[in-house]
Amino acid sequence: MKFKYTYIFIISMVMLSYFTIAQNNKTIVGIKLLTNQTEYEVGSTIILKFSIHKDVKPLLYCSNSYGSTLISPTYKNNTLQYHIPATISKKIGVINWNLIYTETSLLGTLIINPKPQVTSIESYIGPPRIESGGKDYTSLVVIPTDSLDNPVPTNTLVHANHQFLSLEKSEAIFTRNFIAYKDIYSKKESGRMLISSECLGGNSKEFTVIVSPAIPTNFSISVKRVHDYADGNQITTFLTSILKDQYNNIVNDGTYVSFYITNQNGDILKTSGTTAKGIAHSKIVHPDYKDNWRIKAYVDGIAESNTIKINYKQVIKDFKVSFSENNRVITVGPLQSFMQQMIPDGLQIKLQIYNNNNTLLKTYTKTTRNGFVSFNLKSNIFKSGIYNFNIKTAGLEKIFNTKKLW
Amino acid sequence: MVNLNRNILHTILIASYIVIIALIVYGVSALFSYLNTGADRSKMLHTEIKKIEQYLPKLIWSPLNNEGRLMDNENLTNLQNDYLDAWYVKQVAYKTNKVAGIKDYYTESARKNLYNFIDLNKAEDITIESTTLNHNPTLEFFSLDGKLAVITDKNVVEYKRVFKAEEFILKTTESSTYKIVFLLEDGFWRIRHIVKQDSQPFIAENQKIKTDNLTIKGINYYPQATPWDMFGKKFSKDIISKDFKIIKDAGLNSIRIFVQYADFGKANVNPKKLKKLKQTLDAAEENNLKVVVTLFDFYGDYSVLNWTLNQRHAEKIVNTFKNHKALLAWDIKNEPNLDFESRGKENVIAWLDKMIDLVKSVDNKHAVTIGWSNIESATILKDKVDIVSFHYYEDLEQFDSAIKTLKKEIPNKALVVQEFGLSSYSGLWNPFGNSEDDQAEYYKTIQSIISKNNIEFMSWTLYDFDYIPTEVVGRLPWRKNTQKYFGFIDSNGNKKPSFKYISKE
Repeated sequence: MKFKYTYIFIISMVMLSYFTIAQNNKTIVGIKLLTNQTEYEVGSTIILKFSIHKDVKPLLYCSNSYGSTLISPTYKNNTLQYHIPATISKKIGVINWNLIYTETSLLGTLIINPKPQVTSIESYIGPPRIESGGKDYTSLVVIPTDSLDNPVPTNTLVHANHQFLSLEKSEAIFTRNFIAYKDIYSKKESGRMLISSECLGGNSKEFTVIVSPAIPTNFSISVKRVHDYADGNQITTFLTSILKDQYNNIVNDGTYVSFYITNQNGDILKTSGTTAKGIAHSKIVHPDYKDNWRIKAYVDGIAESNTIKINYKQVIKDFKVSFSENNRVITVGPLQSFMQQMIPDGLQIKLQIYNNNNTLLKTYTKTTRNGFVSFNLKSNIFKSGIYNFNIKTAGLEKIFNTKKLW
Repeated sequence: MVNLNRNILHTILIASYIVIIALIVYGVSALFSYLNTGADRSKMLHTEIKKIEQYLPKLIWSPLNNEGRLMDNENLTNLQNDYLDAWYVKQVAYKTNKVAGIKDYYTESARKNLYNFIDLNKAEDITIESTTLNHNPTLEFFSLDGKLAVITDKNVVEYKRVFKAEEFILKTTESSTYKIVFLLEDGFWRIRHIVKQDSQPFIAENQKIKTDNLTIKGINYYPQATPWDMFGKKFSKDIISKDFKIIKDAGLNSIRIFVQYADFGKANVNPKKLKKLKQTLDAAEENNLKVVVTLFDFYGDYSVLNWTLNQRHAEKIVNTFKNHKALLAWDIKNEPNLDFESRGKENVIAWLDKMIDLVKSVDNKHAVTIGWSNIESATILKDKVDIVSFHYYEDLEQFDSAIKTLKKEIPNKALVVQEFGLSSYSGLWNPFGNSEDDQAEYYKTIQSIISKNNIEFMSWTLYDFDYIPTEVVGRLPWRKNTQKYFGFIDSNGNKKPSFKYISKE
């Protein structure tokens, strides 16, 4: 039994080995590559020819940069012809092929070379906005491609052109790794830079890179007002000088400038504006009492201005207060301005009412109209009795103690 | 009666009213929630975390020395992920001849080339299963605005299986160099140009490990309480150590253990499991035992697209333990020939072939073997393995001649009968089974054949088990029960008569 198995095994091994050897021989003897050419220009028709002495049609495995496939041959006069499909022959790079006839099959490679022809130039430029001054730069990257969307050969000449103010420049760069690139540096001036490229007669479209001014340097501020009275009505305008960077370029419109005002009491008021043509405006209403302001402006974290001081003169020297209708109607006025004209409507008057023990009961705030303000104390709120009154306006204060309401 | 009917009518009316209202509310809310989906801003730029590992070939970047802008880690990781995904979708596309996913990873002009190939292959009914195993990219250029990159990927090892009309035509392993231009579009690094610069057939250069003075007197080991779950929750180094001492004292010098693929975390190997494996190897070293580590237990997929995941699993384990003193050999897979029928012989063998290459590329000191389930399969890949292992559960009368035949075919490599044994089960499910004395007699006989032929051995197994997982022999009770009684020591810890022949005749 044991003997029998061994016997069958040995016989079968012998037969198997004979079979394998026989097949190998066929490959070596039977099929031969006839095509000598191994390099082709992209897009050309490629036919691989093999000589064979037998009417068989083995498949040809074929693989390029993008994928692989199997190709069936046509058989004619002991010759196998494999037409490489256009999908493969129109892309550059290496093609490897393998004729699947037996285990030890024929294999080889073809090289598809790019052609020096440009149909389109893909250009990429970035960043699209750079800073003036000569340190910042943008980069132009171009991928010239032929009509079959293949990159052009290495070391193809590309002209990188750019125009800036009066300068027009064309620089030669060469493709490598399918691309060509050029770093373009800014100049001292700000403005718009136009960039394009040209390769083998093909031209790219035009690109714009904005060279924006660098950060502003310190600046000065000024003030504009119609008069210097603290009337609480007119507007004071703050203006910056023209904000410029260190290369004398006017900063971008919209640069944010904050004005900080410190008044006599040390309170800080803030107003702000953005630049247009380098100048930022900002407005604030006059105070309604005598005050001294110190003003300083900042482009936050970047630049600052000088400090200026302005004074506001008191406009209301004094005002009258009259009590009527059981002292329940308090009329303040006339309030007169610097030319004895009635103060413009809207001056704030504050009336504070205390009881006999000097506890604050109520505060009324009203604004003037035609130079007067009147307060009407209703009897259901303020019962008949003794009250103290305190009236404040335009930095002045008048106190009326122990007034009886009834 | 009338009253009752009226009540029933009222109830039905009210109930139907409630149901209708509920349906309307549900409908309106479903419509509302539908209209609210799909407008998530965070999804517009693909910034959400959704990375699942589906394709992990070995990828090593050359030191960064590129032209243009300095590359940072985050951009490089994104580029790498999208590049590998581009390969993955391409392979899926050529396998199925469908275009799904292509447009995310190839620019509008580049994807046309793939579509052309898909049309061509679809018309000819050609499908291609492929994967790439190695990538060695060099970053050539990264544009200043961070939106264009060029890489050269050298020696990309591509494995392909080509089918026509579902018939296998060709397998090929190529090593190619590609140059690729990427554009960053919509948050994806898309391939604009890819050009194969060079390609040749790939042959792995593996170091042969000398196994001349190898003597394996071993045993397949699972702890008694946790068979097929050695590195689970009940793992205990003390138990293992005690067992190893029994094995050593019995005159054996090596053990074979199993690393389960899913249990160890698949492509992302679980460090906790590695720690337990290390403790096991340490215990073996303390007891002067050598260990054959069997990888990929309970794994049976082999599909080409998952190879890269399998390879990362093996790479991690082999790399962790390649310098461990207790290590004897790597067993790539237990009984892979049993998967020939369901997974395709060609496919399984190709998987093993590439896995051997991978293990050897990581560890060039330790021998590699495959645990074939029968002696007839042992000649498969005989030139690639360093030790030829096979299992023998068949008739002992044939054993001697089978070894002699194998020796004729493989005269110069160590042969290991890596599993053998006899169940001493006889009971309800198999009343005419073998007794413990039969088992002892079996071991006596087989040991004499082994020593006469001067081959190495590893028996199955130390213990009788109380529980056999379904994955091992299926659900059938006569199989399960038989599998329980292969041990030299019964489940109460008593040595069976066969123990006398555990290491010698």
